[in-house]
Amino acid sequence: MRRILHVVIISSVIAFTVLAAYALCVGGLGYELPPIEPRTLAKIYLSTTFNPSLRILSAMAPEAVTAIVWDYRGLDTVFETTVLYLAIIASIAIMRGIEHHEPYDEKKGMSIIGKTATKIIVPFIVGVAGAIALHGHLTPGGGFQGGATAAVAPLLVLVIFSVYFLEGIGLTKNRALVLRSTGLLGVGITSFIVFMIALIKGFNAFILQNQPKPYSPIGLPYAFNGNIIGGTLLLFNISEMLAVAAGFTILFILLAIPEEKVKKVISSQGESHG
Amino acid sequence: MTYILPYILMALAALGSIVAVYLAIIEKDLLKAALFSAIQSTLYALLYYLLMAPDIVLTYIPVAVGLYPAVLIFLIKKTERYEGES
Repeated sequence: MRRILHVVIISSVIAFTVLAAYALCVGGLGYELPPIEPRTLAKIYLSTTFNPSLRILSAMAPEAVTAIVWDYRGLDTVFETTVLYLAIIASIAIMRGIEHHEPYDEKKGMSIIGKTATKIIVPFIVGVAGAIALHGHLTPGGGFQGGATAAVAPLLVLVIFSVYFLEGIGLTKNRALVLRSTGLLGVGITSFIVFMIALIKGFNAFILQNQPKPYSPIGLPYAFNGNIIGGTLLLFNISEMLAVAAGFTILFILLAIPEEKVKKVISSQGESHG
Repeated sequence: MTYILPYILMALAALGSIVAVYLAIIEKDLLKAALFSAIQSTLYALLYYLLMAPDIVLTYIPVAVGLYPAVLIFLIKKTERYEGES
């Protein structure tokens, strides 16, 4: 039985490898990987992403991927954020009513070596995450990337120092929820900000608009004091980073609650409901 | 001649990731399987970098090397470490 399983696994891996290599070599991607010449669709985006002579089509941010994610197809990204938000709401709903607090002391968590290394590494992680998110409109990166990187820092603290240390320094589940809601509120407000300005000034505008478009001659400034900020992209990146980092932190705080505690609360709920 | 170097690295990373996937599938100790999966993710991150997709790399490294193995290890701790013989 076990021999057959091995044969099946190895042959399927080999078949997958050969097929994927064949598709990459002679498929629609061309003979060079990565291709030296960008494709026609890529050329359209690359020529409009930062083009001051074509303001009406341009997103005015040099980073094409962030411009596509938050400007060309902003509504898709808002829905992606909503999906993540609903998943975290669901996990909070499942774990409702389960509170577990203990004071932190030096005996909890891992050894002093791990704790010292974490103390050195965590500021670097937060710094890199901030750089990825705040430069998202200029260099590769963006809100989700920065937020996911930032979420590694509380995760490390939680595993190495224990969850009680995280709660001791003030990052409880409810505060993370407030941070997450602030981030989502930022995404929501930024979606409507050009629309609101246009409403006050008496122009037409679109939801999730960034730069001036046909029929709507209004938009956020793409540069501030000589620095390119990409209009709404910087605001979107900051808000998304807050929302993603706090969302993952909530998940890990919930996962770190001891299992016996969870079982006790869930079974007592079952008794009280019948 | 330096032009061929990224392709050689890509081929080596792809082959290494296949080995890691195979080990992750057959491993009965789920903790080790999660670590093999993280090794495979690291090699994939290298592949994405060599294929000139830096945005994907920046998403992939924290999610697939940091957060995803962490979730798996949390779940293994809450359930069982060894896969039962069937």
